[in-house]
Amino acid sequence: MTLSRRDLLKAEAAAAAAMAASIILPAEAQNVARGEELRLKWDKAPCRFCGTGCGVMVGVKDGRVVATHGDMRAEVNRGLNCVKGYFLSKIMYGADRLTRPLMRMRGGRFDKDGELTPVTWDQAFDTMAAHWKRVLREKGPEAVGMFGSGQWTMFEGYAASKLMRAGFRSNNLDPNARHCMASAAVTFIRTFGSDEPMGCYDDFEHADAFVLWGSNMAEMHPILWTRITDRRLSADHVRIHTLSTYEHRTTDLSDAGLVFRPGTDLAILNYIANHIIQSGAVNRDFVQKHVNFRLANTDIGYGLRPDHTLEVRAQHANDAAVSQPADFDAYAKLVGEYTLDRAHEISGVPKPQLEALARLYADPKAKVMSLWTMGFNQHVRGVWANHMVYNIHLLTGKISEPGNGPFSLTGQPSACGTAREVGCFSHRLPADMQVTNPDHRKVMEEIWKLPPGLLPGKVGFHAVQQDRMLKDGKLNAYWIMCNNNLQTAPNTSNETYPGYRNPANLIVCSDPYPTVTAMAADIVLPTAMWVEKEGAYGNAERRTQFWHELVQAPGEARSDLWQVMEFSRRFTTDEVWPAEMLAKAPEYRGKTLYEVLFRNGQVDRFPLSDIAPGYANHESKAFGFYVQKGIWEEYIRCGNGHGHDYAPFDTYHEVRGLRWPVVDGKETRWRYREGYDPYVEKGAGLQFYGNPDKRANIMGAPYEPPAETPDRDFDLWLVTGRVLEHWHSGSMTLRVPELYRAFPGAVLFMHPEDAQARDLRRGQEVRIVSRRGEIRSRVETRGRNHMPRGVVFVPFFDASQLINKVTLDATDPISKQTDYKKCAVKVVAAVDRPVVTPASAPDPRAGLR
Amino acid sequence: MAEEFHVSSLVVHCRREHAGTAAAAIEAMEGLEVHGGIAEGKLVVTLETTSEAAIVERLNAIQVMDGVLAATLVFHHAEPIEPCEAIPGSRTP
Amino acid sequence: MRPRLLLAAMAAACLGAGTLLAQDAPRLRGPEPFTREQPAPPMQRAITNDVRVRRNYPDQPPLIPHAIEGYALDLNANKCMSCHARRFTEQSQAPMISVTHYQDREGNTLGGLAPRRYACLSCHVPQTEARPLVENRFTDMDALAEPERQTGNRGGR
Repeated sequence: MTLSRRDLLKAEAAAAAAMAASIILPAEAQNVARGEELRLKWDKAPCRFCGTGCGVMVGVKDGRVVATHGDMRAEVNRGLNCVKGYFLSKIMYGADRLTRPLMRMRGGRFDKDGELTPVTWDQAFDTMAAHWKRVLREKGPEAVGMFGSGQWTMFEGYAASKLMRAGFRSNNLDPNARHCMASAAVTFIRTFGSDEPMGCYDDFEHADAFVLWGSNMAEMHPILWTRITDRRLSADHVRIHTLSTYEHRTTDLSDAGLVFRPGTDLAILNYIANHIIQSGAVNRDFVQKHVNFRLANTDIGYGLRPDHTLEVRAQHANDAAVSQPADFDAYAKLVGEYTLDRAHEISGVPKPQLEALARLYADPKAKVMSLWTMGFNQHVRGVWANHMVYNIHLLTGKISEPGNGPFSLTGQPSACGTAREVGCFSHRLPADMQVTNPDHRKVMEEIWKLPPGLLPGKVGFHAVQQDRMLKDGKLNAYWIMCNNNLQTAPNTSNETYPGYRNPANLIVCSDPYPTVTAMAADIVLPTAMWVEKEGAYGNAERRTQFWHELVQAPGEARSDLWQVMEFSRRFTTDEVWPAEMLAKAPEYRGKTLYEVLFRNGQVDRFPLSDIAPGYANHESKAFGFYVQKGIWEEYIRCGNGHGHDYAPFDTYHEVRGLRWPVVDGKETRWRYREGYDPYVEKGAGLQFYGNPDKRANIMGAPYEPPAETPDRDFDLWLVTGRVLEHWHSGSMTLRVPELYRAFPGAVLFMHPEDAQARDLRRGQEVRIVSRRGEIRSRVETRGRNHMPRGVVFVPFFDASQLINKVTLDATDPISKQTDYKKCAVKVVAAVDRPVVTPASAPDPRAGLR
Repeated sequence: MAEEFHVSSLVVHCRREHAGTAAAAIEAMEGLEVHGGIAEGKLVVTLETTSEAAIVERLNAIQVMDGVLAATLVFHHAEPIEPCEAIPGSRTP
Repeated sequence: MRPRLLLAAMAAACLGAGTLLAQDAPRLRGPEPFTREQPAPPMQRAITNDVRVRRNYPDQPPLIPHAIEGYALDLNANKCMSCHARRFTEQSQAPMISVTHYQDREGNTLGGLAPRRYACLSCHVPQTEARPLVENRFTDMDALAEPERQTGNRGGR
């Protein structure tokens, strides 16, 4: 132990305590170490990974992040991080960071069949702009598109949405969050008229029971899981019920683990509703005052291509989202079919487990928090599943109060903030407004100072549709930002990759690292990440969190915000807007999109001097005004006064996040409930004010089977998902040696008897084959996941085992979210295809490590 | 058992009028140092010890001092004392 | 075709191919081309040498240098604590859980492991013998503080 190391640690210890107590130490006291140069500068930031939104303290020295730890003052995590969060310090330092734009070149010019070659930003943007202009001219706005991200900062999402909708007049903007929580987002609107949960994480400390539907929180939301286990182990009466299609670390720590056949959660949910009705547990007063009943269209198809047999055969494939008004009796009759016997028969879950769960929900004294993630949302009936859990909470009135409520968890750090609130979906505008609603478009045209009628009213291509349209040659100019869709989209060999290689298309990918998607793109733009830029994320409990730029991005890497704004300089209104629009706004003639969208007297309103002293801000320096602040203050006009209020910009740099609506400086913990939510009228008690009649909808729907079910040829269910150590397709976590070495490659989790029945040993190489494609993997019969017979699990983070070549591109027909949890595969030993060689020839694989 | 070195830090909430005397008492304890926060009544304290037990022991001692409302541990780091560690680069894999 | 060679070499340099370490499989960028079938490399052996690994920074949770296969971590048992709890460390010679683990969410110091710290594997992970896929250029804070004074040479490391 050197003296200086000891002093350094002491300095850090003192700084951490001072930070926790909000004490500013006198300068000489901070210099516990020998000299000024030993000091770390600590700042707050939200974690870069999941939707939990943990607070992190980031220690910077000499322009590099050298340490991170959980923020004691962050309400979300109070000093804890999961293993990914603890290793945030290393995510920016993978040696293969992209530092220069790359373009496919041959003979000194762009060529789609050429090699990725370093170019300047100007060369890259000029090539892009020329292609965009040609496509817009020849085919119109519907042939340009962008695939954005729930990892974008809110500023980036807002700027991109503005450029796509107002600049290029196209709604072909969708986030990767479509794959992640579209079913939840859509159902919030269908039920409550307003997106995002009514409750918040404070529910964890108040609930008597937790029911997890298709969520392995122990691995996927570890810090929220610590709050649940804390509650469970601190209070004897608390219970955890976990429903899943296999057992995992969450079921290990649950009082009950209910393993059901894939897709049959719908039957269980309807059985619970039926039990509540039959046992007289309906909260009649609540239902009378606050609830409407509706019945959904049934037989709605599977979101496949329209000529697929399953779509042709489905009665309501084209009006899947439609529902009819109904009453309590009609709803009770529908769920009445789901008796205990029937639910058991369909799901395979033992009756005592089902009954115990139903009794828990029906018990008026038990406060229940329901939680769900991908198991519910990545579901061909994901919207129905979301409805059905709301139905249960609405029937019993267990909602919008401490400890009682349905809570949708999110996977991406700003799925809520950026994808949903800012409005980066192909059907959405900011603050819950919809592109198909002329009044909403008018509001946005006014705020954005656009000529009336400029914003397009047609819903754009959603994620899966974008891939299909690229393949079919109808979408030709495509910018992928901040995601790795070629690895994470479904059925990639047939539906995603062909569109990237279609000669009519220019594919651009912005990323910090050379991902699978970047390597298949025509132009690759190097991107600044996380604390290399100033940002804002919104987490799953409506908490908006800001951070400052703390270190500089390497080489020529630039933030997505800079990229979008800089690209907008290359277009003039005359090139992209029709003449009649310009006739309405002659002052915009000849102006660049940059001038119209970002130098509009609003976004450029705040000078550089407003930037907090001591922080760099590359975008603002490049454009000459405080970009993030200008965007924020324009953006919050969309929702302030309408139930989506945020605080002013500077506030968020001071606090550890605030949960919207923020009214008079106060955040809202429980929406719709008087005493907590300022939007509820005095004396009303509770109002679901997102809907005009201030009531929520109970939506009746039946159980319908998945798009594909195992049969004789493909006899196993394939479930895909994540592991604790890797997030976002592994693009960051695989570059952190400790995380990589903890879980170095994908494996096929399988029941030992299923392996035995196929003559497979643990560790053996196998082929996982579906009707779409196949990959090779290794059999794992032990470890963290315990599969039932007939179900296998493969994580998707490993680019050498691209399991999405095998998955099916079926989606929920309403939310358009892919079902990654249910398709049919077979697993066979990987014997290299017969090669005629002498018996003594060496094994062809011997040279491979 | 190898020698260990522990660095930790505390925030000690005190009544403001007692903060000065509490700080003096803490400073008098072996391995403890007060870095600031006297005016605010929230003392920032570091501890250097050779075992976890010593941290807990001192934490308990502080918690019962006059005028102290709460002592909260914020930071803890332990590592074995390795004589050769001063050579730069020796840890490089 | 000299120019093409040159361009390819530049691309390779820019994509950081030189910094990629020998890999058992293209886990970062996928097969080239995308459609090529990729053999699955053998599963990696767990590291079980019980050697403590130095942390990258003080707050990093220590890695687990032993096998944890079959360890119970459920409502009835926490196998990790049977060695790492304070009262067992003398016989096990395992490091005691950090005293930070005695504090609950409100900051109260408890007599033992705080319930919020019960799921050890959320933060502490075992390691395999897998070789890193790519160098990570994270710099230890000591390395930034000391070499200047000691050698006057920044570039040597």
